[in-house]
Amino acid sequence: MTGDGAERRSVLDLSRRATLGVIAAGAAGFALFGPRPRQDVPKDRVVLDYWEKWTGAEGLAMQRLVDRFNESQSEIFVRYLSIGSIDQKAMIAVAGRSPPDILGLWSFNIPSFAEAGALMPLDELAARRGIVPADYAQAVWPMLTHRDRLWSLISTCGTVALYINDDRLAEAGLAGAPAPTTIEELDALSDALIERRPTGDIEKLGFIHTDPGWWSWLWGYHFGGSLLDEQTNTATASAPENVRAYEWAQSYPKKYGSRELIKFQSGVGFYGTAQAPYLTGRVGLTIQGPWMANLIQAFEPDLNYRVVPMPTIASIADASRPVGLVDGDVLTIPAGAREPEASFAFIAWMQEQKQIEEIATAHAKNSPLASVSDAFIAGHPNRGITAHNAIAGSDRAFRFPKTRVWPRYVSEFDAAFQRLWLLQDEPASMLASINTRAQDALDQAAAMHARRHA
Amino acid sequence: MSAAGRSRFAGLLWVLPWLIGLCVFFLAPMGLGAYYSMTDYTMLEPPLWVGLDNYASLASDPVFHRAVLNTIVYAAFVIPLSVVLALAIAGLLDVDSRLSRLVRVLVFTPTVVPLVASAMIWLWLFNGDHGLINAVLHMLGLSGPNWLGERGFAMAALVVMALWSIGQPVVIYLAALQDVPRELYEAGQLDGMGPVRRFVHVAMPSIAPAVFFNVIIQTITAWQVFAAPYIMTEGGPDRSTYFYSHYLYDNAFLFQRMGYASAMAWVQLMLIAACILAIYAVTRKLWSTGT
Repeated sequence: MTGDGAERRSVLDLSRRATLGVIAAGAAGFALFGPRPRQDVPKDRVVLDYWEKWTGAEGLAMQRLVDRFNESQSEIFVRYLSIGSIDQKAMIAVAGRSPPDILGLWSFNIPSFAEAGALMPLDELAARRGIVPADYAQAVWPMLTHRDRLWSLISTCGTVALYINDDRLAEAGLAGAPAPTTIEELDALSDALIERRPTGDIEKLGFIHTDPGWWSWLWGYHFGGSLLDEQTNTATASAPENVRAYEWAQSYPKKYGSRELIKFQSGVGFYGTAQAPYLTGRVGLTIQGPWMANLIQAFEPDLNYRVVPMPTIASIADASRPVGLVDGDVLTIPAGAREPEASFAFIAWMQEQKQIEEIATAHAKNSPLASVSDAFIAGHPNRGITAHNAIAGSDRAFRFPKTRVWPRYVSEFDAAFQRLWLLQDEPASMLASINTRAQDALDQAAAMHARRHA
Repeated sequence: MSAAGRSRFAGLLWVLPWLIGLCVFFLAPMGLGAYYSMTDYTMLEPPLWVGLDNYASLASDPVFHRAVLNTIVYAAFVIPLSVVLALAIAGLLDVDSRLSRLVRVLVFTPTVVPLVASAMIWLWLFNGDHGLINAVLHMLGLSGPNWLGERGFAMAALVVMALWSIGQPVVIYLAALQDVPRELYEAGQLDGMGPVRRFVHVAMPSIAPAVFFNVIIQTITAWQVFAAPYIMTEGGPDRSTYFYSHYLYDNAFLFQRMGYASAMAWVQLMLIAACILAIYAVTRKLWSTGT
């Protein structure tokens, strides 16, 4: 054997030894530290994986309920898992045929998941347990259904209302001013609250459409408009009511100065921090959900505030039928879930008033149920919870338009609204352009749906 | 088995993990992406064959056109500016002193800062009301713009932020510069060249391969820019900083149009390849003419 051959063999021997060593070390590591069944899962129960979006205090509140459910019976064990970007992860899990047993989604996810056959219809299971639309506040049941079928039940629900910072009103000499009920009154109050620096920059504002800036699409509803005719699958963004609403929205950068408003907006803190402009008084009026109470409690517990439904234009104002967005977190059973009956047992248990009110209180949200206990109102962290409940019970509450192309629709709105705010487009042409793009998306989705189900 | 066969088998065995990785994580996704690009695929439903419809839709999609244009504008500023700036810094640091060693560390530091953290820092620096940049402009008697809230300025702000983290090209240029034989500089000096002419006529031809490499890398990076604008401007105002990868991501995961996003990914690959080929052709021509 040549020297070269001997050297090569010795290298190969060394390599073999190294390879075996690495494999053995890996195996030992897996045996010692690898995954193993959790000790706290009882062996004789049906174990369900429940994916939910909440973390932190909200997640802990749900975990407490899950623990109570697990203690309440001896057949099912629910494992609560907090999942970030839950709709995207659920999509991948469903595509990979490995969905969880219970899936917590946002209500606007329902059309896309339902149309794709990714959810199990719940009509029959709900009927068997006596769960009916009358159990829920008027605006809630339609949120759970799509194309006349029930796809989800509620976990929490929030309506959007106008928050009035009374400390700011007092500072501006407007203590005790009545809450605005019409857009015209809102404008007047907003104008009275503006405060400028000597440089002309805005120091404090009354109302501004871009705080918190989450719902650039909803203003038309407060003028009697809507964005989608669900029966005919037609976009209605360019309806005259919506044009009027966005003319109103654009009147703010026109009267206060577009550049000044953008500068003001960049100088205030983010929602969720102590510098949120409503908490610091830099914005006196804002639209928010009932969860705002948690923020107030955390950073400005002594704040004096009121909550009223977001005003509408005078011609449609009716205090007994408030207008407002209703949104919800929903519980669903993905298609392909292993134990749908057991999954629904947990979902049905969650619909009981005690559980619903407990989670709503912990999350500082309104009740989605038709019947609300006095204890819930009395113990709720949000002093304006009755206003939120009233919106949920109103026949004029509106929800996210039920279409699977909603994310595309709303992204058009967000971009166009910035153009409007920069005074680079007129409301009518902006809405016409949104309408065209949205209708294209609607038609495209409908054509694909028809082809798939032909 | 013969010794040669055993040797080949052992070699294959050693590269097998890499080959598996290549096939599973690179070739298979690319192949699937090519297939999905010709389907309507929501991920929740089986893909539906649509042929070249997605590619045809791209041709008439104004948002896609805007995203491509934004990315080209961004790349057109970031690539040349970063080459010039990185070369200038590397040239200045090409001396062996304690100070230059310290400055090298300082220049490289932004590269190791996580992108999200640096985006948050720049978000505050560019703040229209309380930002440090506008405060300095104010001291100079100038009125600063709303950097991230106005069209034009938002793009400029992102370009400035990209130039902040040029530590990596600086290090590569510096290494290349230090490989240039000192005798060449001395010869240039004897011929009466000043420092600038020596840099242009002596150093530059020697480090041209490093410049070429960096331009290629930065072209790819510019086409893939995503995190900083996603955090700082969310593509606004009015989609003026809505870049290619952001629109691709939105289509894939927000709009549930994985087929369309796959077509975009393939077009992106083609565009990057076309840019690289163009750079390569220009470079070859420059080399062949001795420029």
